[in-house]
Amino acid sequence: MKLRYTPTSPYVRKVTVVAHETGLHDKIERIASNPWAPDTDLPNDNPIGKVPCLIADGGETLFDSPLICEYLDSLHGGRKLYPPSGGERWTALRRHSLGDGILDAAVARIIESRRPDTPQSEWWIGRQKNVLRRTLDACEDEADGLAKGPVTIGHITIGVALSYLDFRFAAEDWRPGRPKLAKWHAEFAKRPSMMQTIPKDPT
Amino acid sequence: MLLRYSVGSPYARKVRVFAIEKGVMGEIEGHASNPWDAPDALIAINPLGKVPTLVSRDGMALYDSPVICEYLDGLAEPRLIPKDGTERLLALRTQALADGVMDAGVLLRVEMTQRKEGDRNRDWIDRQVGQIDRPLDVFEKEVGSFAAVGIGEISVACALGYLDFRHGALNWRAKRPKLAAWFAAFEQRPSMIETHPGEAK
Repeated sequence: MKLRYTPTSPYVRKVTVVAHETGLHDKIERIASNPWAPDTDLPNDNPIGKVPCLIADGGETLFDSPLICEYLDSLHGGRKLYPPSGGERWTALRRHSLGDGILDAAVARIIESRRPDTPQSEWWIGRQKNVLRRTLDACEDEADGLAKGPVTIGHITIGVALSYLDFRFAAEDWRPGRPKLAKWHAEFAKRPSMMQTIPKDPT
Repeated sequence: MLLRYSVGSPYARKVRVFAIEKGVMGEIEGHASNPWDAPDALIAINPLGKVPTLVSRDGMALYDSPVICEYLDGLAEPRLIPKDGTERLLALRTQALADGVMDAGVLLRVEMTQRKEGDRNRDWIDRQVGQIDRPLDVFEKEVGSFAAVGIGEISVACALGYLDFRHGALNWRAKRPKLAAWFAAFEQRPSMIETHPGEAK
């Protein structure tokens, strides 16, 4: 398998953490790609032009990150990151959506901050900040449940999302007022899959 | 069950079409909500403040649209999402492409309605248009192998319906005669007629 990636995409990191957790990391050849380069060939594999994009051994190109994660989880015989059915499954998928929602709002803020020439929209930035505040509060309410249950795609996505906030918005610490989530994340961030995927801006 | 939706949201339309095709719409009480106002009733069940949000038979709040569709698919036959294997991957890939078209369409709409003309960013607009055009070119190639109705087809139809509703100027049918013919037929399904967003604007 091949994974088209960028070093700092949190959606790529989510997929990579899943690859580590499922023992598949060594089977994936990583291809650095720049979706923002004018001459990028990424659309040949993903018409939407985004990373992550996985090229399966059978040649199928897969995106977006939820589909790639589900596919990787189908390839191994260990404990599944996607519970197969019932309340456990929906809880994991709801948490996955919460984590992705944090990422979508955070990435929207980053993109807005990089607008060249034209003014940034306070309305748009304010909207993303509200989503982040509310969703982080909801994750605080989930923290006891996160700490109790076995690791699922929901844990991984929320864990990656919180680390992304630390990476991009370190000056706006999300921890005050959210002690349980902070404690859970401190533990989760020690997992080898998280330690091996800490993002660095390319120098 | 309770569904918070908006008439204009293509993601919400996907869920409503899906529910009608599954024959479970009768169990669902629909509440139109304007997600741009982030109303309290919506935020109380989904902190992201997005539609569609479904409250399930067991009282769980589910989002976003792929998760809701998967839940609804488990409630009744026939299955509209293949259970496993390559068939499932390809159907979900088509859904991801269509969702990508919706994402770009919504961002384009935000750019055109929430920013003054001089504040719009040409590169950003071109980027979104590319993210609409390329998946549509893929659909034009693949439309011959579309199923009668499944998660992929419903997603594509709702993405195209959204382009007609908000981005008629893109004239997506030009150079895509097969996709246009397919959509003209698919749009006649009662599920599509019942969920039509109204006059293009």
